[in-house]
Amino acid sequence: MGEFYSIAITNNFQQADTGTKMIHLGRNTRSRIIAKGISAGQSQSTYRGLVSVHPKADGARNFTQCDSLLVGKKCGAHTVPYIESRNPTARVEHEATTSRISDDQLFYCLARGIPAEEAVTLIVNGFCRDVLQQLPMEFAVEAQKLVGISLEGSVG
Amino acid sequence: MLTIDDIHVAVNGKEIIKGLTLAIRPGETHAVMGPNGSGKSTLSYFLAGREGYELTAGRVLFRGEDVAGLSPDQRVARGMFLAMQYPVEIPGVATMTFLRTALNAQRRARGEKELDASSFLKLVRKHAAELNISDDMLKRPLNAGFSGGEKKRLEILQMTLFAPLFAVLDETDSGLDIDALKLVADGVNRMKSPERSLLVITHYQRLLSHIVPDHVHVLAGGRIVKSGGKELALELEARGYDHIIKAAA
Ligand SMILES: Nc1ncnc2c1ncn2[C@@H]1O[C@H](COP(=O)(O)OP(=O)(O)OP(=O)(O)O)[C@@H](O)[C@H]1O
Ligand SMILES: [Mg+2]
Repeated sequence: MGEFYSIAITNNFQQADTGTKMIHLGRNTRSRIIAKGISAGQSQSTYRGLVSVHPKADGARNFTQCDSLLVGKKCGAHTVPYIESRNPTARVEHEATTSRISDDQLFYCLARGIPAEEAVTLIVNGFCRDVLQQLPMEFAVEAQKLVGISLEGSVG
Repeated sequence: MLTIDDIHVAVNGKEIIKGLTLAIRPGETHAVMGPNGSGKSTLSYFLAGREGYELTAGRVLFRGEDVAGLSPDQRVARGMFLAMQYPVEIPGVATMTFLRTALNAQRRARGEKELDASSFLKLVRKHAAELNISDDMLKRPLNAGFSGGEKKRLEILQMTLFAPLFAVLDETDSGLDIDALKLVADGVNRMKSPERSLLVITHYQRLLSHIVPDHVHVLAGGRIVKSGGKELALELEARGYDHIIKAAA
């Protein structure tokens, strides 16, 4: 079982091109990719994922979940899956979602006393939950703080 | 407590509140009733400080302070609260985490010490038990997949947890079953005190027989067209809005 989890955050005027390669060589190999991308400010982020299944990899299975979250109205997110399957018994699934932090969500947080920047961090950490959950407690706490730092200045 | 002085409020350039005056003193409960689209939720969002709800004339004082320059979170830290008609889902954020983040943000803004995890847990469980909200619900992401009644109960949990001085309840009763209505009303009544005031927005007299108002106002077309005591709600229920609005015109 190959697993790959990632969180990519872009802010301000950053342009990021991130991704992973998952190569299936053997029989009945399985892999899972969960990639979370957060774009804030005027940034653009692209996720590129290659899933390659070699001829001998009978019954190989991959599942890719690629979720993008937009913070604000001037950023963008792009998902480019590359699938190379050289074995007809392989099953490769790719799911992608894009959502935006809504005014309603932001207002709801503010209306409960959470300042805007902290609210965005909270919502983004919620969005990354499936990935953060994979980390040991101490790392998850650090990662959540890092999310906050990366998003500094993302709300006006 | 709250002085609303001849306010006009526009949303997207369209005037919705057209000259509304209301004074709420400490300890008082006011009810606002009115037909769909009369501006009740607009008033509640505006009071909470929502962006895009523009004050074009008049002013609002909360405990003597003009709220115009205050962001929603600053208003909350000063003791204002809005229980929303349509609570919002936040995927992935456990309800418990949300509540703790909110309470601690308010405490920080007031210069109070944040609550540690275990004192917070004790506090939230106490309030949750009174509203029949399970631990399991508190572990789920905020409002995600909650039933209509569960969402409304969670709004009231937040109210009792934050203990505001002034709260607006926007149709908290819609979507509640009879038992939940009783639980919610009891929760609200426990909060009542000589220092606290309430503005209850509702379509139904039923809620007002549990949470008894001192004053009832009828809002129509962005104005208060009639005010009275609790018997006005009964009259509305019996005769409908049309009659009252025409008589007031
Ligand atoms: N963002 C907006 N842009 C334009 N018009 C709006 C906006 N929000 C509200 N309105 C309009 O303002 C009016 C008042 O709406 P509001 O939601 O305050 O009514 P309400 O009294 O709460 O009604 P209900 O009883 O159905 O909850 C309605 O005509 C509505 O269409
Ligand atoms: Mg409404």
